[in-house]
Amino acid sequence: MALSREIYQAFEAVVGARNISEDIGICESYRAIPCQTSDHRGPFKQKTPLPQAVILPGSTKEVQGIVRLCNKYGIQFKASTTFWSVMGYIGSDYSVQLDMRRMRRIEIDPKNMYAVVEPYAIGAVVQAEAMKYGLNINIPGVGCSSSVAASTAGWVGFGPQTIFMGAATENMLAAEWVLPDGEVLRTGSLGAGSGWFCGDGPGPSTRAILRAKQGTAGSMGICTRVAVRLHPWPGPAYIPSRGMAPAYKANLPDNFKAYTLCFPSWDAYAEGLNLLHQAEILYLGHRQFTMFGRDIKTAMIKILNDPDGQLSDLEGYVNDPELKKANEDMKIDIQVIIAGMTPRDTEYKEKALDRVLEMVGGWKSEFMMDPEIKDWVLMYLLRMGHKNLNYVMCGGYEGNFGLSGNVFVSSSVMEEASALKKKWEDEHDYIAQVGGDSDMGSITIMGGGGSTGWEFFTHFDSYEKESVEGTAEFFNATQEWMNQKKLGLDMGKWNQSARRPDGYYFSQEEQDEMFSKLAQPLVAYYQYRVREAFNPNNLCGSYYRTLSKV
Amino acid sequence: MSLKDYRPMMERCSNCLGCKWIPFDKIKSQRFGENCPSVCYYNFNTYSARGRFQLAQTILDGDAEYTKKVTEVVHSCTSCGACDVSCKICRYNLEPLDHNIALKIDAVEKAKTLPVQETIIGNLKKEQTMIQGQKRIDRMNWAKGIKVKDILLEKAEVLFFPGCKYSYEDGLTEKARAMVFLLQKAGADIGVLGKADACCAGRAYQMGFEKEFEQRANANIEAVRKSGAQVIVTPCSDCYYAFKRLYAKLGLNVEVVHIVEYLDRLIANGKIQFVKPVQMTVTYHDPCHLGRQGEPYVAWEGGEKKIRNQIHTWDPPRPRYNGIYGVYDAPRNILKAIPGLRFVEMERIREYSWCCGAGGGCSETLPEFSSWTAAERISEAEATGADTLVTACPWCESNFAGAKNQNGNKIKIYDIFDLVRAAL
Amino acid sequence: MEKIQDALTRIVGAENVCGDPKVLSEYSQDKSFAPGLPPRCAVRVHNAGEVGAVVKWANETRTPLVSVSSQAPHYKGDTAPGVPEAVIVDLSGMKKILSINRKYRMAVIEPGVTYGELLKALAGEGLTLSVPLATRAGKSVVASVLETEPRLNALHQWCDLDPLRCVEVTWGDGNRMFTGEAGGSVMDLEQQWKEDKWQWEPAGPMMLDFYRLLTGAQGTMGIVTWASVRCEIMPQAHKAYIVPARKLEDLVDFAYNVLRLRFSDEFFIMNNTQMAYLMADKAGEVDGLKEQLPPWMAVVGIAGREILPEERVAAQEADISEIAQNCGLKMPEAVGGISAEAVLRKAARPGGDASWKEIYKGAFQDIFFSTTLDQTPKFIQAMGSLSSQEGYPVCDVGVYLQPENMGASYHCSFTLPYRADCASETGKTRELFVKASMMFSRMGAYYFRPYGIWSRLQLNKDAQGYQVLQRLKGIFDPNGIMNPGKLCNY
Ligand SMILES: Cc1cc2nc3c(=O)[nH]c(=O)nc-3n(C[C@H](O)[C@H](O)[C@H](O)COP(=O)(O)OP(=O)(O)OC[C@H]3O[C@@H](n4cnc5c(N)ncnc54)[C@H](O)[C@@H]3O)c2cc1C
Ligand code: SF4
Ligand code: SF4
Repeated sequence: MALSREIYQAFEAVVGARNISEDIGICESYRAIPCQTSDHRGPFKQKTPLPQAVILPGSTKEVQGIVRLCNKYGIQFKASTTFWSVMGYIGSDYSVQLDMRRMRRIEIDPKNMYAVVEPYAIGAVVQAEAMKYGLNINIPGVGCSSSVAASTAGWVGFGPQTIFMGAATENMLAAEWVLPDGEVLRTGSLGAGSGWFCGDGPGPSTRAILRAKQGTAGSMGICTRVAVRLHPWPGPAYIPSRGMAPAYKANLPDNFKAYTLCFPSWDAYAEGLNLLHQAEILYLGHRQFTMFGRDIKTAMIKILNDPDGQLSDLEGYVNDPELKKANEDMKIDIQVIIAGMTPRDTEYKEKALDRVLEMVGGWKSEFMMDPEIKDWVLMYLLRMGHKNLNYVMCGGYEGNFGLSGNVFVSSSVMEEASALKKKWEDEHDYIAQVGGDSDMGSITIMGGGGSTGWEFFTHFDSYEKESVEGTAEFFNATQEWMNQKKLGLDMGKWNQSARRPDGYYFSQEEQDEMFSKLAQPLVAYYQYRVREAFNPNNLCGSYYRTLSKV
Repeated sequence: MSLKDYRPMMERCSNCLGCKWIPFDKIKSQRFGENCPSVCYYNFNTYSARGRFQLAQTILDGDAEYTKKVTEVVHSCTSCGACDVSCKICRYNLEPLDHNIALKIDAVEKAKTLPVQETIIGNLKKEQTMIQGQKRIDRMNWAKGIKVKDILLEKAEVLFFPGCKYSYEDGLTEKARAMVFLLQKAGADIGVLGKADACCAGRAYQMGFEKEFEQRANANIEAVRKSGAQVIVTPCSDCYYAFKRLYAKLGLNVEVVHIVEYLDRLIANGKIQFVKPVQMTVTYHDPCHLGRQGEPYVAWEGGEKKIRNQIHTWDPPRPRYNGIYGVYDAPRNILKAIPGLRFVEMERIREYSWCCGAGGGCSETLPEFSSWTAAERISEAEATGADTLVTACPWCESNFAGAKNQNGNKIKIYDIFDLVRAAL
Repeated sequence: MEKIQDALTRIVGAENVCGDPKVLSEYSQDKSFAPGLPPRCAVRVHNAGEVGAVVKWANETRTPLVSVSSQAPHYKGDTAPGVPEAVIVDLSGMKKILSINRKYRMAVIEPGVTYGELLKALAGEGLTLSVPLATRAGKSVVASVLETEPRLNALHQWCDLDPLRCVEVTWGDGNRMFTGEAGGSVMDLEQQWKEDKWQWEPAGPMMLDFYRLLTGAQGTMGIVTWASVRCEIMPQAHKAYIVPARKLEDLVDFAYNVLRLRFSDEFFIMNNTQMAYLMADKAGEVDGLKEQLPPWMAVVGIAGREILPEERVAAQEADISEIAQNCGLKMPEAVGGISAEAVLRKAARPGGDASWKEIYKGAFQDIFFSTTLDQTPKFIQAMGSLSSQEGYPVCDVGVYLQPENMGASYHCSFTLPYRADCASETGKTRELFVKASMMFSRMGAYYFRPYGIWSRLQLNKDAQGYQVLQRLKGIFDPNGIMNPGKLCNY
């Protein structure tokens, strides 16, 4: 059902003719093909539904105008900003897609260390603007192409720097938000006009409805501005770089140190990470490069560091004895960065890091200390601008075995998980053969340490049907194994309760069926009540998990 | 490759939309962080390289068609290649720029073109030039009054190929003569194609008129072959790209250099010496087809080969063209050699330079968009504190000049050759 | 209808139901200027089951419930019933420390556990907890974290609500659940521990942030029967310093520069008056101390914990004193006869039963709100002018500035001591309190924890926010039985 002229013109009156389109080509390009991107639900083929129109609001007032019209006419809507992941796309036929690209302002309060951002201010630009004031921002693991507001409003928002900077939920200060019924909520200190510095209160926090551990994935209205806490950046006003694409390297002063820490066993690794949580010395911690796979990570690092490198160089490098040795050396590893605020601070943090390694019998990888590689790692992890490397090998990847929790629990099953994946790599040709372990994840998903978040990168060819379907089979096997181990939901299936395999939202009946089985179903029941209260016309879809009765 | 041959790339594009930004590592500010004029101006993601991949898929699948809007989307790409560079920071098996052009070619084949394009191509066919209203017969008028060999009649080592702009436009024809004069003075043995001189048709290719391009290209290649020239020198970046990359693919086997490279060599070996100071603060705009697209052609014929189950590689290894071997240092060397001149860089430079807006025929087909794109670059140049913006392509120069006049900017616009002359 | 006491006796046993008017009158009015009403009776509860039964009964009988976890005296008016016929749910007898986990730095405690009790138990495991300034002995840790009391170490606050993590709550509608990470698996702590889950992550567990509905709620949403708190490793080396200044502005720069680099552990700013109140052992000492002390002081603690503790302290000591120097300040270990170490000892440990702020005149009223550090001089100046206008001695106004949430905001607090037995002084102080509260509100103060009259001042400024709160209250406490009369009655 196309939008009636009356409705289309009403939207057009809000944003202007230039900022709305119902052209079939435009609308088709706003559909996600989930196997081409990551939805944390496992790869599958169907596209998300076709929007009736794509609308680009330019202000809070315009957003509010659109949402009010959606309520008036019963049209579902979803806002998205960078559109990388499937969660940002609509899930029903009678829907409009909002693209937040025109809203992009950044205002920084350098003294009180926060930035007020509109949705299209992506991590890279907020970081670049913050660095001018000696400040930095937590860029989630998805990388700097993601919108700061969307990561705050929409999803989890943890990443390599979370150890030092906290995750999105922690960094979120006051917010301005158009609720699904069209009302504008301003949380915390902002509501009363006192500024952006506090997102909680007065009294109980209304922000409770905007996000929790994870954001609402566009299912609780639209965040139009949010203040996020910034953190110290003891470096220059921008990241100076050298080198040729794609291997740009950071030219940072000596207070920045990048190391790959290696451990003799997973027990030592867990112990070491826990000590690092407590030591408060890291600026960043992430197990990054194993994402390519245990057997090929040094080979991939070589390729990526060579401006003329090609994936066809892989086999040559993989058999290089030096690189093999380096691989073996950093089999159980994590990348860390120290950023000393002063020379004394740098010295203390270095020493403390060495002490932690000594306590658990760990060491620093020599291979990764090569100055060219080190500076590449600094660039990679500080800017997080190479996240599309997730897809470099096959064009498709999806995380599996994702465990966000206690590092002692996750590391204890790491070898077994690796063996299961390796078995699939060896026995089938659906997924890339990389040596089993392809674990990637942040040293913590909470400020100052706590749970860790990891996932095994499963590389598959999004173009080849057998590969896509075989990967789905593998994820089923993973889930079975995780069930046996009582490890919870496989990451590749995290969002399986949010959207049907055909790309559409679930109905309430389907949700009731799923969420009545929760260990504490009240969680979804209260979400239902909240949705009823704030989204009475149910316009934002089933990413908001609801259970209509307990 | 026809559009459908890009299907694997369309489906392996990971939707990261990195193609809307300069390489993230290089971003220094929000203001100058983006790279794609098309999506920046029109805003819908459809206009980005990613959008084009997806649009093409749906066209192939029959889910979408070339509506008026879609036709505009397809042709609103300046073929600048900025998306290509950014994509290849992380991806080794996608060719967004080639695909953008393949999509245009598909549209043109289905007669889905913009109204002005038909006129431009009609003119190309009839008068063998990109410049509207100009006649073939007048093409060599620019060389009147100078002594230069007709290379088809008299052997010369260097073929000077001025391109349409320098052949016809006021102010440029005089400059073309001065170029020849300077090169000759520095000892170069220069010839021109005379009656055989015609449009390179690179811009026709950028617009998706592949057949028309090939016709012209084959004729030009034949003329060059006949001329026996060892080197082709051109002051036009579009021509440079056509000869260096497109003609090379069609079999041209002659060294192709842009005039800035030639001048750089002459300065380096002392054949040109600057004597007059040029008291200007100058910033340099890298033309897309000289910079990131100015990499030498590497012949490749092969296919995909999967290793380790699903990792796809090319067999034999395929040239990456990620922009790094373009012509970047020669113009900068020249500027730095000019006494008194203060050289400052913009934020978006070299392989991640912002386009002037003239590419892909857009200066003629979508003039508002094109002029906006140029104005963006002028703002960036002004932000450096420079009083002068120089470039090395007549298309860039005239697009900047047009935008400057329209918006009343103070900054001066020059071709690099103007400063070279001023310093002699 | 069954008599209230009989019904409650069935739930908690006769010995835990109290109708003694004398005892009840203690609940009816606290030491603040906020009005209170006598409750109908008080019940001491001992577990979540009893709480659930009381809430169920209260819903059936529409009886208002006021939950209290700390021991008397109370100072903020939140636990004094705002409506007649309320039943006090006294959780102070729930004193179990359910778990302490050194490895994960977590503790799970019941609401009756006081700071003194918890810190002692934590110390036995090599842990500690960042605490509010010189809290009183009977203060419940759970109540304190739910009230989001500011803590001495803002740099360990990853958000405004740290160190609170997960809770068990019985909502106003009688439903009981766990929040945060604990809400994501079976509702059984023992089982969760067996699975090596330590109630670590506060948010969610899904998209609705349940615990944020309980913080700052003054008991209006539900009753918490345990909470997990994030602890810290006990320092092995710990030093303290006082940075004296003539002007607050000098300390403002200093504070920004120190916290910006994530230096220091404990950090707060006080004027000489507030410091004298804190450090005096008796009223007679206050004036002398005030005289001796510089007008303004920043107190800086540096701790070394598990890894190279001495080195950490030494490095930060040198760096922070350099920052002080750059601000034209010094960083001695003692000032005006008081040592920084003694200040920290007093600040970081629970004190006596009553508040130390009573020491000077026997009674006090606090005014506090959140703001940013750069705004604080403006408020302080205004308070000075208003005090002298109102005839309240400016030199008696204690000022305490505590960074919160890594320094993103500051708890800005004024202490106004007065003689409760002097009607005119009491009246004047009350007048000043009301006028100052209104003045700050106009100036942009944010009553983050809106007790008493602040709730109206604050909530009235934002109709939309208030309406959202009302809708939420309607979901979790549909019959409005949880501490009605607070937070504008919603
Ligand atoms: C390759 C890949 C890797 C990832 N890795 C991580 C990781 O390490 N850590 C992590 O936390 N996450 C990760 N994610 C998930 C990711 O966090 C989110 O996709 C991303 O943070 C959201 O930012 P975006 O700019 O991509 O948002 P979008 O795709 O624009 O939106 C994400 C969600 O937010 C909603 N949204 C967008 N804008 C608004 C708005 N203004 N108001 C309300 N809702 C809005 C959308 O509807 C959508 O549901 C990953 C995703 C991908 C594709
Ligand atoms: S070639 Fe240039 S204009 Fe075309 S899509 Fe790529 S970046 Fe945009
Ligand atoms: S074309 Fe390249 S950069 Fe653009 S979305 Fe696809 S993979 Fe990403």
